[in-house]
Amino acid sequence: MTNIAVRCQNVVKVYDTGGQKVTALNHINLEIAEGKLMMLVGPSGCGKTTLISVIAGILDQDEGICELFGENLLTMRSKDKLNFRAKNIGFVFQAFNLLPSLNAAENVSVPLIINGMKRIEAERKAITLLEQVGLGERWQSLPSQLSGGQQQRVAIARALVHNPRLIVCDEPTSALDHETGRNVMELLKAVAMQKDRTLVIVTHDTRIFDFADRIAEMDDGHIVKVKESNSKATNP
Amino acid sequence: MQIKYTLPLLAVAGFLFATYTAINSNNPTPIAEAITEPASAPFKAFIAGAGIIEAQSRNIAIGTPLPGIVKAIAVKVGDQVKADAPLFYLDDLDTLATLAIKRADLTKAKADVTIAKATFNDAKSLSDLAEAVTDRRAISAEELLKRRNAMLITKARLESALALVQQAEANLADTETTLSRLIVRAPVEGEVLQVNIRPGEFAPTGFLNTPLLLLGDLNQLHVRVDIDENDAWRFDKNSKAIAFLRGNRSFKVDLSLAYVEPYVVPKKSLTGDSNERVDTRVLQALYRFDRKQLPIYVGQQMDVFIEARDYSTNKDSENSQNDAKGPSS
Amino acid sequence: MNHIALKMLMGDTGKYIGIVMGLTFASLIMTQQPAIFLGIMSRTYSFIADVGLPDIWVMDSKVQFVDDIKPLQDTELYRVRGISGVEWAMPMYKGLLKARLTDGTFQTCNVVGLDDATLIGGPPMMLEGKLDDLRRSDSVIVDIDGARDKLGKPSPIPGGKAIPLKIGDNLELNDRRAIVVGIAKVTRTFQSQPVIYTTYSRAKSYAPKERKLLSFVLVKAKKGQDLAELTRSIREKTGLAAYTQTEFITLTYEYFMHNTGIPINFGISVLLGFIVGAAIAGQTFYNFTLENLRQFGVLKAMGTSNWTLLRMILLQAVLVGSIGYGLGVGLTALFGFAMRHTILAFKFPWQLLLFSGAGVSLICIFAAIISILKVIRLEPAIVFKG
Repeated sequence: MTNIAVRCQNVVKVYDTGGQKVTALNHINLEIAEGKLMMLVGPSGCGKTTLISVIAGILDQDEGICELFGENLLTMRSKDKLNFRAKNIGFVFQAFNLLPSLNAAENVSVPLIINGMKRIEAERKAITLLEQVGLGERWQSLPSQLSGGQQQRVAIARALVHNPRLIVCDEPTSALDHETGRNVMELLKAVAMQKDRTLVIVTHDTRIFDFADRIAEMDDGHIVKVKESNSKATNP
Repeated sequence: MQIKYTLPLLAVAGFLFATYTAINSNNPTPIAEAITEPASAPFKAFIAGAGIIEAQSRNIAIGTPLPGIVKAIAVKVGDQVKADAPLFYLDDLDTLATLAIKRADLTKAKADVTIAKATFNDAKSLSDLAEAVTDRRAISAEELLKRRNAMLITKARLESALALVQQAEANLADTETTLSRLIVRAPVEGEVLQVNIRPGEFAPTGFLNTPLLLLGDLNQLHVRVDIDENDAWRFDKNSKAIAFLRGNRSFKVDLSLAYVEPYVVPKKSLTGDSNERVDTRVLQALYRFDRKQLPIYVGQQMDVFIEARDYSTNKDSENSQNDAKGPSS
Repeated sequence: MNHIALKMLMGDTGKYIGIVMGLTFASLIMTQQPAIFLGIMSRTYSFIADVGLPDIWVMDSKVQFVDDIKPLQDTELYRVRGISGVEWAMPMYKGLLKARLTDGTFQTCNVVGLDDATLIGGPPMMLEGKLDDLRRSDSVIVDIDGARDKLGKPSPIPGGKAIPLKIGDNLELNDRRAIVVGIAKVTRTFQSQPVIYTTYSRAKSYAPKERKLLSFVLVKAKKGQDLAELTRSIREKTGLAAYTQTEFITLTYEYFMHNTGIPINFGISVLLGFIVGAAIAGQTFYNFTLENLRQFGVLKAMGTSNWTLLRMILLQAVLVGSIGYGLGVGLTALFGFAMRHTILAFKFPWQLLLFSGAGVSLICIFAAIISILKVIRLEPAIVFKG
């Protein structure tokens, strides 16, 4: 019996944009098992980004319960929530979101510094992570001096450096070409996937679906279906 | 990344320079010290006044009884003169000529007396002769009368001639007096302070702005102190007074009151400036001091402080009342 | 995190310099304009400040400022001298007289007559000659600026620089001969007229015939004498106005503050400098924050607390503020240094450093507050939006 990393029950999120209410998440129920790679797929505007925001605790849902490793982030004190997030979640973004004025090692060390580690120690550890993603030589480069794939690899190193239990990836490959995208996914799977680490990847890049353990398809705030990888569909 | 260090360094340098400038600009300008320390009162409460040195006798501006050209001057500035010593001589040629005339007049008058006396004797002897004739027939009554009258007439002439002599003598004495008045003499013993006239100059009579000759008794000097009429009520005759020499306050002398001029006069140019235009009146007090203590000259100014009663302490109660009322003044 | 904040700030050199320049400009204008203002205002009372020896100035009760001469009778000097607590009291003549120069032109001069014996109230610094030389007959001392410029002899070459007045040169003051025996350095006055020092009695003979000529009585208090008490007793006993040196400076200063347009004009330009500086610096700093909002969002998503972000922004604001401030005051000081020999008025007291410091701080706080509000309100979820 594997532990459940993420459990969402009847999660509702309504955006109020200029008097018009848009229901982004409509009674979502989802469970993600620990140590698995879950992909959220669906057309743009279907609510998948909102869902991972709620899962990662950076957006509060309006209704329902979302538990992360058994903790309900909604009821946590904001300071504890921040600490929890800083310790347990790593982020990989579509736009990489590296700090442009920091070099690769410094960028990677940011989560460690947020967790209170000394800068020098954090950078040392960051360099070992960069070596793991194959960028050990380039630790001094600024993001602008790196290619897209290299930047995303730096971002992956950043997501992993503090050894989080959950990694949230938002369209990690959509800004990259096919080859680079696959390389990134392979790297992600090789470096990130461990027994006690869960990955949630939002994507609509069908080329990388085969990396998933499970795929949840979303549309219009609902989870339409969840299928095990390699086309074994089950009901949510 | 040079800018990372350059800008803060520049800023620090700028701030330091600004601080330096600020500290420097706050340096006060140097103070010009006084050339000599000014006199300051040795008393707690006092009246201050300007004093001017004069001789005890006051300074006598010698005048001349007669106007005239100065012939000779008998004294120099600084001479000690006895009373009645001649100071200067006026031109006396004219008076000497008059004197000669008057003398001649006297001689003539005296000669006239001799003549009158002789004539009288002649007439008297003729008359006596006639009187002595006892026989009335020997001389006519008319002849007798004539001789008697002639004797009386010549007697009267003799008396007239004698009177003329007296007159001529008086005239002579008058001219001699005039002559003596052409010699101006010292009225008192003293020192010649100033001689403003030279031989050949005309000495007019009357009051002069510049005296012909200034005489004073310098054995004892007085300092004449002007006390502003506003301060006069605070002046006490018995209080102490100290005078300081201007220009060096280490020269000072204790004063003792000689007298106070009871008449309050318009302030004169005691500060020595002829243009002084001040319309206040001053009480003048004269003080004696020991001349040997000071290297001082007549006419010099001094700063004088006269001790006065400290009315401010008496007014303390008043003041405190005023204070209680707030700064009403 | 501070390191990250600094890296963020300095990462974009152009923007970084922009913010710093804005603040430099604001700080420059907030320091330099008041410095000129203070310089001009200090010239209004520089004469009083130069005469440092006396503690108290006695004058007619209706005098409004230092150049507003309402002469007294000479006997007032002795009345003041007679007040207990007075160490000494000296006369001073101050008036505007016309000097006739050797080439026949006239120049209005500020003539100062000092007590004949002590020469109290003389110029602060003698460049040539000695103050004692005033005891010579017909002697005057001229200030260096006047000697070089307004009282100088015309140049032999037309349009050339005037030949400065030297010791031994002649002047004519009201048809009376005056011989220069010294050159003094004095602080420039508001009207920048040449200053001529001479003795009190000579000044009186230069002055037009008036009944009263005593401008001021300069009083030194006895040691340990309470000045306020002494001025009060002088006022009570003589009916004249008596001010301590600082009071007289304040009186003059206040007169110019209330009766001339100088404070308003400079106030406006300081205010404008403040507003423009605040606008530029605030705007660039806020823009900087806006452009980095995404980065702040990433940090926020990764678990950085608002407090930490606030500290980061404050650090950035303090850094650009200090740099801008330092550069601004430095430039001001440099400006003052470059202008030190010119006619320009410039005074840089330490209070001005505080003033512009406060001004720059205000701008930075303002800019930081709007930036902080923006960052605190920021939803970290934006980081997921492409």
